[in-house]
Amino acid sequence: MEMFIQQWLPIIGESVIETFQMVTVSLFFAIIIGFPLGILVVLTRPGQSLENKFVYQILNLLINIVRSIPFIILLFFILPFTKIIVGTTIGVKGVIVPLVVYTAPYIARLLESSLLDVENGVIEAYKAMGIKTRQIIWNVMLREARPSIVLGLTIATVGLIGATAMAGLVGAGGVGDLAYRFGHLRYEVDVMYATVLILIIIVQGIQTIGNRLAARLKKD
Amino acid sequence: MIKLESISKVFPSKNGDVTAVNNVNLHVKKGEIHGVIGYSGAGKSTLIRLVNLLEKPTSGKVYINGTEMTSLPQEKLRKTRQKIGMIFQHFNLLKTATVYDNIAIPLRLLGYDKQEVKKRVEKYLSIVDLSEKQDTYPAQLSGGQKQRVAIARALSQEPEVLLSDEATSALDPETTDSILELLLKINEELGITILLITHEMNVIQKICDYVYVLEHGDVIEHGSAIQLFTNPRENTTKKFLNTISQRKLSPSLVSQLKLKGTVTRLTFIGENTGQPLLAQVSQRFQVVPNILTANIIELKNGIVGNLVIHLVGEKEQIDASLKFLDNQGVGIEELEGN
Repeated sequence: MEMFIQQWLPIIGESVIETFQMVTVSLFFAIIIGFPLGILVVLTRPGQSLENKFVYQILNLLINIVRSIPFIILLFFILPFTKIIVGTTIGVKGVIVPLVVYTAPYIARLLESSLLDVENGVIEAYKAMGIKTRQIIWNVMLREARPSIVLGLTIATVGLIGATAMAGLVGAGGVGDLAYRFGHLRYEVDVMYATVLILIIIVQGIQTIGNRLAARLKKD
Repeated sequence: MIKLESISKVFPSKNGDVTAVNNVNLHVKKGEIHGVIGYSGAGKSTLIRLVNLLEKPTSGKVYINGTEMTSLPQEKLRKTRQKIGMIFQHFNLLKTATVYDNIAIPLRLLGYDKQEVKKRVEKYLSIVDLSEKQDTYPAQLSGGQKQRVAIARALSQEPEVLLSDEATSALDPETTDSILELLLKINEELGITILLITHEMNVIQKICDYVYVLEHGDVIEHGSAIQLFTNPRENTTKKFLNTISQRKLSPSLVSQLKLKGTVTRLTFIGENTGQPLLAQVSQRFQVVPNILTANIIELKNGIVGNLVIHLVGEKEQIDASLKFLDNQGVGIEELEGN
């Protein structure tokens, strides 16, 4: 046991760090892209304040297209695009772009459903008070949706961790890659078990944090 | 203060256009409380939303304090809306904000400074009697308390006009009364003009000066509350009146009673509710009055008494006694059997 830990801890530790890097960086950019996208989809919906059938349909189509492609396909499918954006298609840097492209539309959808759950009456009340649409988005819609947004982001993060397992294919490393290379290809079952255990702990941890945070934000 | 001029709202739909509000005229003078009553689907909610342009009218004009609303550009409309408070059936508070913040957030967004916000929140929370609840979240409040917060939120912008969209419909009778008293208080003490919609006749009875009866988007009858309670013309109005007082006798009972004598509804207004007119009738004429139903309704601006009597006696004696009552200012309506 001790030998196992001595032998593998540095390698496992490194891959955990790689996974964290990939998840946090791509989550960050996915949020930056996904949030405005989700808000726009809600606002351009029929009956909403910036109603625009054309924009709404285009965004919807775009999100659906990206969401229908499995990550492993997307990874290779957008290689040229990745190259343009970050100048490389391998390593952690090379996998961030497909991870963002994969996650942003997902976050947009989760945000859309969170925002649509906000009672229309409250929004109407703020409209009736003469408050600007922009302020309503921030102070009513996003605020009221916070608990469900947090839960949505938790789901997105867990999905993202799953997707990073395939990052090994472009040499980005990470926990999933470790399990695949050593556990599967070299048949070192112990390593596979250890990494699976680590993944379970990470996912459990994230879900617990998400649930607690959502519960704290929720006041009813 | 609030004036609607031939306002109509038509919603296009697959099965042809639906006219929700049809050519409605309405005028609420400063300091008055007007009520629109109607069944669900009558177009009440659409009507009240037309006042602050949450719905754009298909035709007609809306004046608030002399400003024509329908032609205002977006920015001006926003500014004018700040002077029109609105409360709702489901309160529409932020669930994630405390009572204090529910009132403070809109004020902050409207650009009031911190001290002014604090001053106003405290002032209006004390008016609605909820000062000690300022750190509570809406989920921990009762329906009546939530509506008080919503009222404080509306008042905190110091509006000239308050629109009430079924504000008491989700509340139990006792809470309804306390909210109605509060509305009356802010009308009297702050001089706020109120337009409300409701399907509850007791709301009209307790606080309204003037009433509009809405059916299928049309105002079918309107008048002062006293007029409507003493002399309703339309069937719908009568049906609403039946909801608060047992005015109705079954037609078969009336027919049976009318075999001998007549069955008449007497309506008393104001001071003659206090006079023993029936006693005088039985002394002066050879008739025997028998009271079938009786009630007294307290309106905001007066008292209305309703009496259904069975008069037995010779026809000319009955006619003479009814004439006597008529001369005393009593409303008379003979009931029909089947």
